[in-house]
Amino acid sequence: MHVGLLWGAVILYGLGMALVFPAALRGRPSLSRAALIVLGAGLLFHAAGIAVLAAQTRHFPVTDLRSALSFFAFLITLTFFLAYLRYRIHLLGIFMLPLAFLLTLIAALEPGRTLLSPAFRGSWLIVHIGCVLLGYAGFSLTAVAAVMYLIQENELKSKKPRALYYRLPSLEVCDELYHRSLLFGFVLLTIGIVSGFVWASRMWQGPWELDPKILAALVTWLVYLFLLSARLSGYLRGRRSAYMALLGFAVMMVTFVGISFLSGFHGYFPNLGAAH
Amino acid sequence: MSSTMNFTLLGINHRTAPVEVRERMNISEARLAGALTDLVHRDGIEEGLILSTCNRVEVLTRAADDVEAEPIMRQFLAEHHHCDLALYAPHFYRRRQQEVIAHLFRVASSLDSMILGEPQILGQLKQAHAVARSVGALNGALNELVLQALAVAKRVRRETSIGAAAVSASYAAVELAKKIFGNLDGKVIFILGAGKMSEIAAKHLLRSGASAIFVSNRTYERAVELAGVFHGTALRFDEFSEQAPKADIMIVSTAAPHYVIRHEDVQRWLAARKNRRMFFVDMAVPRNVEPSVNQIENAFVYDIDDLGQVVEANKKQREREAVWAEEIIQQEVQKTLRRMASREVVPTILALERRLEEIRENEFDRYHGRLAGLSADQRQAVEALSRGILSKIIHGPITELKSGVGQPEQSSLVETVRKIFGLSD
Repeated sequence: MHVGLLWGAVILYGLGMALVFPAALRGRPSLSRAALIVLGAGLLFHAAGIAVLAAQTRHFPVTDLRSALSFFAFLITLTFFLAYLRYRIHLLGIFMLPLAFLLTLIAALEPGRTLLSPAFRGSWLIVHIGCVLLGYAGFSLTAVAAVMYLIQENELKSKKPRALYYRLPSLEVCDELYHRSLLFGFVLLTIGIVSGFVWASRMWQGPWELDPKILAALVTWLVYLFLLSARLSGYLRGRRSAYMALLGFAVMMVTFVGISFLSGFHGYFPNLGAAH
Repeated sequence: MSSTMNFTLLGINHRTAPVEVRERMNISEARLAGALTDLVHRDGIEEGLILSTCNRVEVLTRAADDVEAEPIMRQFLAEHHHCDLALYAPHFYRRRQQEVIAHLFRVASSLDSMILGEPQILGQLKQAHAVARSVGALNGALNELVLQALAVAKRVRRETSIGAAAVSASYAAVELAKKIFGNLDGKVIFILGAGKMSEIAAKHLLRSGASAIFVSNRTYERAVELAGVFHGTALRFDEFSEQAPKADIMIVSTAAPHYVIRHEDVQRWLAARKNRRMFFVDMAVPRNVEPSVNQIENAFVYDIDDLGQVVEANKKQREREAVWAEEIIQQEVQKTLRRMASREVVPTILALERRLEEIRENEFDRYHGRLAGLSADQRQAVEALSRGILSKIIHGPITELKSGVGQPEQSSLVETVRKIFGLSD
């Protein structure tokens, strides 16, 4: 059931891409209603899939890597959807939809083992993982906004406008998108980390603070803290701040996916975590 | 009923005729209503529209069937302008039937304009339509066609960005400002010196919600004068450097033979305004803004050549968009043709059904006496039998008629069916 719904979402996302790409590349002023309906339906299927899995396992399905990726993909599509409704930038879809499509496809191909051990239940854990993933989705949007900013800035500085100059939004809009998603991501990541600490201190004994994933998450958090404060103070603005956001995104992806293979507690390999 | 829409268009435009001819053929707004009335009162002319702008004069008509409208229209133009139209013959183009549809759609969508995608033509066509309606010159298929053309033009605007990119230097400056600042509401523009171009650019920017501060490098009075014209404020030149960090946009066009704004100045200003972006439009020759300012992060400099380059790129962009617009127009022409054709087919199908039913009823009446002995069941069976035969006979012609919609040979097919079954109008 849940896999079937995921496949529905995969197909609808694929169809959505097929509708969004030509419009974005051709620079049509707006997306067709069909594109929005298809993507909206994809989101509903995806949400239903997650809900069904949650009902089956009786917890929010984010505690194994594939479910987490699936939920993350859902958030990416949702972010695109909402950002489009607010800012009307369909070019965002070029960056975000393939990512969401691919991640959902992976999740649908191999739904992964569901974890039923009590260690992976509990509301603190759900808050922890949910907030961290929401924060990551926010930072993904920040990275996309940064890329758009860099391209548009280059177009403007070069004084020879090419196709993208016409398609991309103004620097101001890129900036606003960047700023808001950064703020959102930072707040959510902070809540995610704090709730993780609370949960860990209840569940785990021993030196869990030195877990590689926790250290990596703290590095990510520090990078974004720097970015946010540099930004708010006006010290860093424009191109360099966009580069920093891309660096932050790279660190975030390493934390999210890469470190999972090193970490005992966070490896999505429950037997390792349970050994402590 | 008319078997084809007998449309004819006669016109000249900026490509076929020089301005002397265009002004000679122009039908002024004041005389438009009278001219239209004259046109549609001529024998054979059912509807008329006149579109007269500085770049084109076009006369459109729908004539009665089998009427050749072109000579009537030539006569009309010759009489209206009191001239021998033969002198201007090489400048005129004519369009017939479905060519008229495509032409009108292209004109309305500004694909036939001197400046591709310019927005005025749509308003001019609306105006021409309103005048023609008001004198009763449009009341049928041509009226529908013009309304359709207006709708197509809107679709082209909606689905392509053919009219989006600026094609004049001062507008290009405004657009660049919008690409940098997004909304110009509340942005502060400094205007240094006063050239014609910077005045135009300032006017556009102010209309977008920015506020202006005028600085003159010669006399304060000049700045005050300009500030009065544009409802801005004036600033003394010695205060300029101190106030400059407030400026989001600077339009510079002084007569100074050297750089008025230097690299170090801008670095200082940006630091003072926490690196919020600044945009410099240098309209002066020799240039007033040091070119290396463009290399400073968050500062953007465009001189007069850069703006020209942007305008060129914008024109190319409009041409790329025009390709999509042409595609839309093709689709819409096909749709319109199908609609017109099916409007022709439906009455024929109905007439055909009526005719056959008539025959059937007549035959029943004739055999009324001999069928009287049948039971109700048997009577019903005979009815069903006769209906069955008719619907089998009618099936072929109806399918043919429907599938022929939009095909070139459809009109003759309609004619044939009408003739064979003896359908009158």
